[in-house]
Amino acid sequence: MEKRSRIFSCVLLTMSLAAGVVRAETISFADAVSTLVQACGTDIKKHCRDVNLADHGVQQCLQHHQAEVSPSCTTTLNEVTNSIQLRLAAQASVTKICSEDAARVCHDVAPGEANLVNCLARATEVVGKKCSQAITDAGWR
Amino acid sequence: MRISKLGFMLTLVGTIIAGSARAEAFTNQELISTLGQVAEGAPSIDAALLAEEVAANLGKGGAALPAWSRLAAMPQINVDVEFELNSVVIAAESYRNVGMIADALHDPRLLGHKILIVGHTDSTGDAKDNLKLSQARADAIRDALSTTFAVAPDRLFAVGVGEEMPLNVTDPKAPANRRVQLINVGLLK
Repeated sequence: MEKRSRIFSCVLLTMSLAAGVVRAETISFADAVSTLVQACGTDIKKHCRDVNLADHGVQQCLQHHQAEVSPSCTTTLNEVTNSIQLRLAAQASVTKICSEDAARVCHDVAPGEANLVNCLARATEVVGKKCSQAITDAGWR
Repeated sequence: MRISKLGFMLTLVGTIIAGSARAEAFTNQELISTLGQVAEGAPSIDAALLAEEVAANLGKGGAALPAWSRLAAMPQINVDVEFELNSVVIAAESYRNVGMIADALHDPRLLGHKILIVGHTDSTGDAKDNLKLSQARADAIRDALSTTFAVAPDRLFAVGVGEEMPLNVTDPKAPANRRVQLINVGLLK
């Protein structure tokens, strides 16, 4: 299920990048769950108190109680879920999307993904738009 | 038996101020830079052995045990996570901190690193119960990270040590002793 979601997100990301679609920045896990608690804290306490974070438990619980939770909670849950999936998809795709830029701009950096991403993130003026957007979406700036 | 909220006093190792440092005191960059310090000679991790060592030496203090003493030099940080009363359910108030751990583990500087999650309690209640509770809560954090937060499960290990390794030795019941410790135990091979 999760794998399918991530593949779907990958497809969405690729399509968005190809189309040059302008969209909001992805958010971090920390910001995602903070936003969720802000919008859904009362609903979580009321309907999901015994549910743990693992296995998307809270998300599934809120979805199960969708008829009872506040509309803003449902909207926020969808937004943060989509944003996180986009971020994860971007993280998984940076290496591929940026391969040409990496070979052109960062061929002499020390081995390691952190060094490569650091190089690509700094070379803002010479790295392609798709690669740049993927790094941004990955939250690696 | 005392099973109340288990917290993690959030402090950088070495700058611990018992009872005062809270979750908001750390940043994602601190997590990454602290855990990302290059660990040379990382010991091979056998979570079951670590758990057995503690269980077999209850009441004797755990930090000096052979398997545990090898972890002392590894990059590590304590993080504050609260749980619901009498439960292994992570409190909503602590979702952000779990999210921050996840963000750090998704950062390129920590990708491929293995993390040992160590659960600690204070000394209130029965030592065996505390050991069991701390293991279950460390497991809960590992499970959340490896599923909802999409961290590769082979990077994560969880061990509970109960009250055996207090930060505040002079006051074993001090809140500072309730914490979760993250230890970078080296790169995946």
